[in-house]
Amino acid sequence: MPQSQQKSEDIAERIRNKIASEEEFLRREEEKEANNRRKNRPVVVITYLMVAVFMCLVVYIIYFMQMKAEVTIANSRNVRQDTFADRVVRGSVITSDGEVIAETVVDENGNEKRHYPYGNMFAHAVGYDTHGRSGLELSGNFYMLRSHTNIVEKITKGLKDEKQRGDNIVTTLDKRLQETAYNALGYANGAVVAIEPSTGRILCMVSKPDFDPNDIENVWEYLHTEEGEKSSVLLNRATQGMYAPGSTFKVVTLLAYLREHPNDASNYDYTCYGEDDYANVEISCAGGYAHGEVSLESSLAYSCNTSFANIGMTLDKAGYKKTAEDFLINKDLPYDGEYYKSHFDIDASSKDTEIPQTAIGQGETRITPLQNAIIMCSIANGGELMKPYLIDGVESANGTKIKTMKPKSAGSLIQPSEAKELTEYMKSVCDYGTAAWYFSDTSYDVAGKTGTAEYDNEGSCNSWFAGFSNPEHPDLVVSVIVEDSDENGINATGVARQLFDTYYAGQ
Amino acid sequence: MINLICELSQYFIMLFMILYTVKCFSALSVTDEKKRKKKTNKQIGYVFVIHFFCYLVLYLRTEDVNILVFYLAQILVAVLYMLIFHGIYKESSALLSNNTAFLLLVGYTMLTRLDFSLAVKQFVLATIGLVLTSFFPYIMTKTKNLRDHAVLFGVLGIVALLSVFVPGLGQEIYGSRNWIHLGPLSLQPMEFVKILFVLFVAGTLAKANTLKDLMINAIISAIFMGVLVLEKDLGAAVIFYLTYVCMVYLATSRPIFLIGGIALGVGAVLCGYMLFKDSLFSHVMVRVAAWQDPFANIDGSGYQVAQSLFAIGTGGYLGTGLMRGLPEVIPVAESDFIFSAICEELGVIFGLTLILVIVSIFISFVNVSMKCRDPFYKYVSFGFSVIYIVQSLLNLGGVTKFIPSTGVTLPLISYGVSSVLSTLVIFAVIQGIYVVTTREAIKNEKDRERARNFLEQANAAISAEE
Repeated sequence: MPQSQQKSEDIAERIRNKIASEEEFLRREEEKEANNRRKNRPVVVITYLMVAVFMCLVVYIIYFMQMKAEVTIANSRNVRQDTFADRVVRGSVITSDGEVIAETVVDENGNEKRHYPYGNMFAHAVGYDTHGRSGLELSGNFYMLRSHTNIVEKITKGLKDEKQRGDNIVTTLDKRLQETAYNALGYANGAVVAIEPSTGRILCMVSKPDFDPNDIENVWEYLHTEEGEKSSVLLNRATQGMYAPGSTFKVVTLLAYLREHPNDASNYDYTCYGEDDYANVEISCAGGYAHGEVSLESSLAYSCNTSFANIGMTLDKAGYKKTAEDFLINKDLPYDGEYYKSHFDIDASSKDTEIPQTAIGQGETRITPLQNAIIMCSIANGGELMKPYLIDGVESANGTKIKTMKPKSAGSLIQPSEAKELTEYMKSVCDYGTAAWYFSDTSYDVAGKTGTAEYDNEGSCNSWFAGFSNPEHPDLVVSVIVEDSDENGINATGVARQLFDTYYAGQ
Repeated sequence: MINLICELSQYFIMLFMILYTVKCFSALSVTDEKKRKKKTNKQIGYVFVIHFFCYLVLYLRTEDVNILVFYLAQILVAVLYMLIFHGIYKESSALLSNNTAFLLLVGYTMLTRLDFSLAVKQFVLATIGLVLTSFFPYIMTKTKNLRDHAVLFGVLGIVALLSVFVPGLGQEIYGSRNWIHLGPLSLQPMEFVKILFVLFVAGTLAKANTLKDLMINAIISAIFMGVLVLEKDLGAAVIFYLTYVCMVYLATSRPIFLIGGIALGVGAVLCGYMLFKDSLFSHVMVRVAAWQDPFANIDGSGYQVAQSLFAIGTGGYLGTGLMRGLPEVIPVAESDFIFSAICEELGVIFGLTLILVIVSIFISFVNVSMKCRDPFYKYVSFGFSVIYIVQSLLNLGGVTKFIPSTGVTLPLISYGVSSVLSTLVIFAVIQGIYVVTTREAIKNEKDRERARNFLEQANAAISAEE
């Protein structure tokens, strides 16, 4: 049957063709698929790149939350802090020895009032919380408005729509030292700062005239009276009082000289006749007393003005300025609260006539008690300054530790060898020099520098002391200024002595 | 009691947000259509739960009945949109439409909290946008001639960009001249031009065969970039440039175009900085300075970023809860800085998961491009993916101080007429490409299935014969 055979062969042929074309179709499809995969490579690369960048963003945000957020939001410009007050009863401020120095009292009607149990004693350090904020009330504001009480208390209070109890801040302030400083200043105006040089913890900070933060409404009213305007009671003299440094500045002058005479400083000698002329500026020693022949050490110990004016005249002005600025004069201080920047105006272009007064701390130089404390802290701690701070930690209202602040280095201001040398020189001040009388019968040694800074031509003067105890392993830096010491008879070194005594009595 | 409900709601919002994010990624990774459907259906539930708790808190805190009405209106539109859209387009991506709804609802929530009238405006505009753009997939399945007008798109784009220089029409805001006023509407032409730009680049690249074609394409693209630099709109210039570089890299498959492109971009920025740091780039310098240390000039240029960081940091991981933070202190919190407002009140965990959702949207976009065989659609969907992700990066990075802030919006969440409409167009076009590609793929799969069946039967018949 050729016809049917022909037909079946036709069909077979068509089937073969069909098979071939279907196979071709599948092959082409696979090829297209492979092509598309190859074509997709750039898409995959870009996708991985973008995902990687976004992972960086996520990690960055977590890093920000973990490491940076706390400090960022504690910024006093963060207005959100105030909204917390609607939900949280502001926490207390507690001294390192457990005394409550600021707390919020809530009456039956839910009215809150800030109460300061020690009144004036901690006024400037703690500050105030109405009509703006200052002191710890400002710098610790954020911590006190957060609540870390336990979850049960949180839920119970939440159910009753009651405010949560805020966290307490534990300050570095020591009530005993604060009290001693406060009483030692008596009715005199002035300021006291005491800092632990190895950590930077501020143990006391007193400023007078003071005010009662419980009565801040009336204080503000008083400030608007004629008398009040001049009183500057709100000014924290410890960090904002700008004083001529007087003889305490001789430490800076001395370091500038030591830097210029690394090998022959011990050869220095000078004969003091009680007064002398330098660049036509008349310089006289206290009471016109002639110290006779003095070395570099006894010049400092006796606080000999003519000798230091003599030293000052030999200094390279640019080097002098650098030494002052190494001690952070003219610079921002590593301190979180309110403060003023100290200033020292000598530079390479200054006239010689400015030098004699500047060298003995009269002149145009102005520094704060905190600045002097910082200079002493760096000397006491081998040149390295630990950042002075007031907040030791934060704890919840139940007493659980939330946060502990660690001491932070603010860098080395001077060389360790320089610190050691300056300490030796300053020991002489307290051994046989101007401060010897105050420290003759103590159980501890002191290195420091006294100062008497005249601020007018009528003999009115402020009394200074800046120094530290136990020079071998310095324990405590004290910086004291007493205004008008010639009238009130209170000497800064005497105040410092009382502080050291209290400090060691408790040890 | 209200406090407790609100606090608990905050935790629910966070929990369901995490679940939603997980589903975004797991829906991407499954290949089985049925399993994916299950996941995307759950997602819809999560969106509504998050949305419900947000509005519950908003209502309890404000006791404003308008908020309830607004809430119901949103639910109505969202349900209708999902039902009708999926009813008409059986092949559409549920993941994509879920994410569209999700982003819009998050945006409405935050805008309701910040400024109710803006939220309503945004809602009305976005709803109109949703209705209009739902026709896109239909149009795209019917016609293919979009690609033939690439050059026209290019010219149109440049003209639209130049419109900001027309006196009386254009306006300079925040140092950039990139706004125009049309009656009651303020628009940013750049937002629409970026769509035209991608269509232009994709169209010309799909046809380009020679280096000459590439050069012409490059020159016209450079004009776009030039106009943007003249507008001092650096954010937009960066978006356009990166998109262009990525698209050329895709079209040529040559890594040199990517590496060279990025190197050239960095070089151009450095040169621009050296030459024009006092004139054209002065406001850029201000932003760079504000980025390096926003707190140094907290009353001036650093204010915005500083406030943004305060907001994010103060809100913390868990957030203050809606209505309990102060997001209104951040300048333009409703637009460029909405992410900071979200972090402050809904929490940084919410913010981080939102970032992950945005990344998942980008990956789902890129998947569309990878599935697509047609070069034009492949380039278009890829270009849009890059635009979306780069713009999100500039926004999120800017408000968190990761990179200098460039003043671009967060797509579909930030308030902004131009931004929302143009993003809806982008989402709809990608949805359209998905529909077209899926239909093609289904048809292809059928053809292959048929061919395979035929061959199998033939082989069976042959072996039976033998």
